[in-house]
Amino acid sequence: MRMDESREVESIRKVLLGDVQAFEFLVRKYQGPVYNLMLRNVGEGDMAADLAQEAFLRAYQRLETFKTGKRFFPWLYTLSLNVARDWLRSKGRDIHVYMENAAVMVRDEDRPDTQTQLNDRLDGGKAFEFVMRLDPKYREALILRFRHDFSMQEIASALGITVSGAKMRISRGLEMIRHQFKEVSNDR
Amino acid sequence: MTDDREKRRLDNTIMEGLRSMPEVDPPKGFSARVMENLEPKRPSAWTRFRLWLTEPRSVTFTPVRMIPVFAAAMVLLVLGFYAMDTNDSGNGMRMSTIRFVLNDSGMNARTVAVIGSFNSWQAHDAAMRFDDATGAWVLEAQLPPGDHEYMFLVDGQKLMADPLAQMTRDDGFGNRNSIVFVNGTYEQAL
Repeated sequence: MRMDESREVESIRKVLLGDVQAFEFLVRKYQGPVYNLMLRNVGEGDMAADLAQEAFLRAYQRLETFKTGKRFFPWLYTLSLNVARDWLRSKGRDIHVYMENAAVMVRDEDRPDTQTQLNDRLDGGKAFEFVMRLDPKYREALILRFRHDFSMQEIASALGITVSGAKMRISRGLEMIRHQFKEVSNDR
Repeated sequence: MTDDREKRRLDNTIMEGLRSMPEVDPPKGFSARVMENLEPKRPSAWTRFRLWLTEPRSVTFTPVRMIPVFAAAMVLLVLGFYAMDTNDSGNGMRMSTIRFVLNDSGMNARTVAVIGSFNSWQAHDAAMRFDDATGAWVLEAQLPPGDHEYMFLVDGQKLMADPLAQMTRDDGFGNRNSIVFVNGTYEQAL
């Protein structure tokens, strides 16, 4: 177990024994990915913050159900996804069809200018934009796999699908992005 | 091949793009907002016990200090082997090896079995082997302490008391069963 994971385990133990402040370590460590997950799904900063807060609150309340020996982040991510789903459903939206233009969340300084796009269409930023345009069910699978290094089992568990389903989503997601790269290439 | 190379290159680009994808920072004071809404947990006795059980503990290993431990382990191991060799029946009862012998004495028997109270008077798994050297039928069996009645079954039909048995008992049907006493402290030969 890495030092970082060891500290996580210790924090969880302390929280369960009544040390509420020990939870702050987990919040600070994972607030970025959880907030960005919400942002990708609701597209608006204040609401994303509220939902991220709700996710951490739910994680705190259910910490007794977390199985020590497993990784904490996939457990938290699964729970956060459920918070996002609940909110989207309450608004009559579905996580699988939302985010037509997810690239709106890219900061201006991170957005490649037109010249760069033309000259270097295969850079990571472009790939990221393509990923953000994907149907969320493929997008989240790719982010979990390549951004957060989840195992196939962890992806399957987080997304509520089978392991073979997770593999299919990643394979299909990659295929769709390759296709977009080709389209850009053909348009030139 | 070229397509494969292109596909791999694209995949690497996509993966790299995802690894280095920009993230928006949460609003300032986010963690404080989360924390101010949390109440300390009141763990139950069971939770405390469970956490105590799973608490990581560091163990210091010093080879020199481990010598007595290894010695004790070896003693236990030897005692374990000794205990196994005493043929414990599994229910705490010590078993003894009893050697049944029946001289053929010109019977020219084809089969002989030992049947008795210890095997519910069933001949299967109780067949004796013929020892050419001594001209006798022999069977070694594990028996618990106590007295056991038995008979020899010759050729599957003829019952015969053990001529060497020190004691017999009337079976109530006109025959006398042989009796073997097993005290559980040493091997016995009949």
